[in-house]
Parts: sequence; structure tokens; C-alpha cells
Amino acid sequence: MAMFVVKRTLPGITPEALQSAGLRAKTCCSQMCDEGESIRWIRSFFLPATEQTHCYFDAASKEAVEEANARARIPFSEILEVVELTPDGV
Amino acid sequence: MLTGNNCSFNVVCVIVRQRNQLTTAISHAIRVAQLQEKDEVGPDQLLLGCLLALARFGIVKLGPWIIDLEALGVEWLRVDWLGEGKSEGPKVAYSTTAVALLDRTALIARHDDSAELGLEHMLVAFAGEDIGLMGDLKRKIGFESAAWRAAAAQLKEANVTKAEAALAEDAHVGQGPRDYLSPEQAAEELGIHVQTLRTYVRSGKLPAFRLAGERSIRIRRADLHKVLEPLASEKTTAQRRE
Repeated sequence: MAMFVVKRTLPGITPEALQSAGLRAKTCCSQMCDEGESIRWIRSFFLPATEQTHCYFDAASKEAVEEANARARIPFSEILEVVELTPDGV
Repeated sequence: MLTGNNCSFNVVCVIVRQRNQLTTAISHAIRVAQLQEKDEVGPDQLLLGCLLALARFGIVKLGPWIIDLEALGVEWLRVDWLGEGKSEGPKVAYSTTAVALLDRTALIARHDDSAELGLEHMLVAFAGEDIGLMGDLKRKIGFESAAWRAAAAQLKEANVTKAEAALAEDAHVGQGPRDYLSPEQAAEELGIHVQTLRTYVRSGKLPAFRLAGERSIRIRRADLHKVLEPLASEKTTAQRRE
């Protein structure tokens, strides 16, 4: 499993629409897991100043992340692999 | 299909920290779409998912109404039998109308001062619909938006009462920890994601038991250690190097 970040700009997005998108992402990942795919939505960060959202996923491939977002109908600008650093790991 | 009934709303128990009822409803909605060979989940499937989440033996008791899912053409037993961790049929995405409905659900939850989206919020989101399955239900049952919203509100009250009862039971005063855990509770005990735990169950690493005649599974607390492997101690590693 690798970690990926999904970057998107969502102009005018409301907190409710973000919550709805989160529910859709969660349920789509769950559905894909039931189909045998390895994918998990970890968490997202919304940057109010730029109206950007960074969503982090654990997944077997970039394509799986792309598919989960497409199924959830959440638009994105790019998906990049991430190297995770934590205070415990340095 | 529908008969008048004054009995109070009786819903399958929702236990705090277990799977949210709305998530269950959406999972059912996806299965319904797959059974219908559709590649999108729309409002009709979401409404059926809500009803399936509330149903027992294909019967939904909501407010003063009894709704027979079989009369709506729902193969409730087949949807249930797909069970957890199984999927068949086409890959399913949300339709744009489903997205709009979920956005409305979130807005209703916010007005309800609820941090979490609930099944009752989605039911309320359907109240104003006059087309599709909701329109059919309105015409067949003959209810207005207000009666539907009142039934959804009653559902939340029933859930709160049951959740409080579950919490009280969870406190388990003086009786020590439970012997059998739900997948969510077992995952929490191990500090792993529930999907990871389900993978262990599917692969046979972790024994699990199915509740008689139901989809739910339980894991014996005493079996949790079976997915744990001891790390070699530093001393042992040093000895190996020698």
C-alpha cells in the first residue's frame, strides 16, 4: 500500500458539501474494498484561504484512488504519491 | 402494501461506535443498484437503502405506516445475503442527483445541530420529493411532507433512547470486559482499521463467528492475539549477529 494525496480546488464549497463528499468517499472506498480493492480514505485538510482540499488515501495504486474519487463524484486536479513523515519516525 | 398502524416506531438497534445507520443504508443502496444492473446510485436506490436499513424481514415500520419492501419489488433477502465483505454486479458511482440529495442531507444535519449525518436526515431530505419512488410512496400511502418529517424525527428519538441503553450496557458495571466483540470493537482493541480486521477474518488469520441467521459477525476476545506476532528482542537480535 502506498499513500496518495488528491489535490482539488473547490470554489464556493460549503461545509455541508464537504461533509457530503466525505461520506461519498468513505462509502465508495468501503465498496471498493468489498470488491477486493485495497483503498482507504485516511483524512482530508481544507485550506480556506485557497479553497483547496488535500485528501489522503492509502491505496494499492493511483488508479484505485482515481476510481474512488470518480465513483464519489468528487472533482480533483491531481493525484500524487506521498512519502509520510511523522515525529515518531524521525 | 401499506396499512395504518398506531404502534410506536421500532427500529433495529443502533449502537454508538458501531456502524452508522446511514452508512448501512448507503451500502444497501449500492447493492440494490448492482442487483438492478445499474452503474449509478440514484435517489430511488438511496431511499430503498434507507428502508432496507430500517427493515426487518422486509417490513419497515415508520411512523404510522407499515411498508412491505416486497411490494416495492425489493429482493430484500438477496440484498441481505450479499452480506459484509462481498460484492457482485457492476461498479457503481453516485449519480449527480444522489450527490445533490446527500448535500441536502448534510445541510439538514447541520440544522439539526448534528455533527454526524444520520439516516433520519436523509429521510427528511426526501420529504419534498414528488417524483420517483418517493412520489410513488406519497401517492400510495397518501402522506404529506410534514408527516414524513415527523416520522423521521420520531426515528431519531428512538435511536437516542437505544443508544443510551447501549451505552449503559457498555458500561457493564462490575462484569469485566466482553467475551465477544463486533468487528468495530475488535479493531479498536487492536488499534487497527476495521477493514484491516475484516481482511484478517477473510484470510482466516482471525477466527470469527456469524450470529445465527444474521449477517453480523463476532470475534472472541481471546482470539485477538492470533494476529499478533512477537518482535525479536534486541538481545535476541544481538545474539543472532554473534
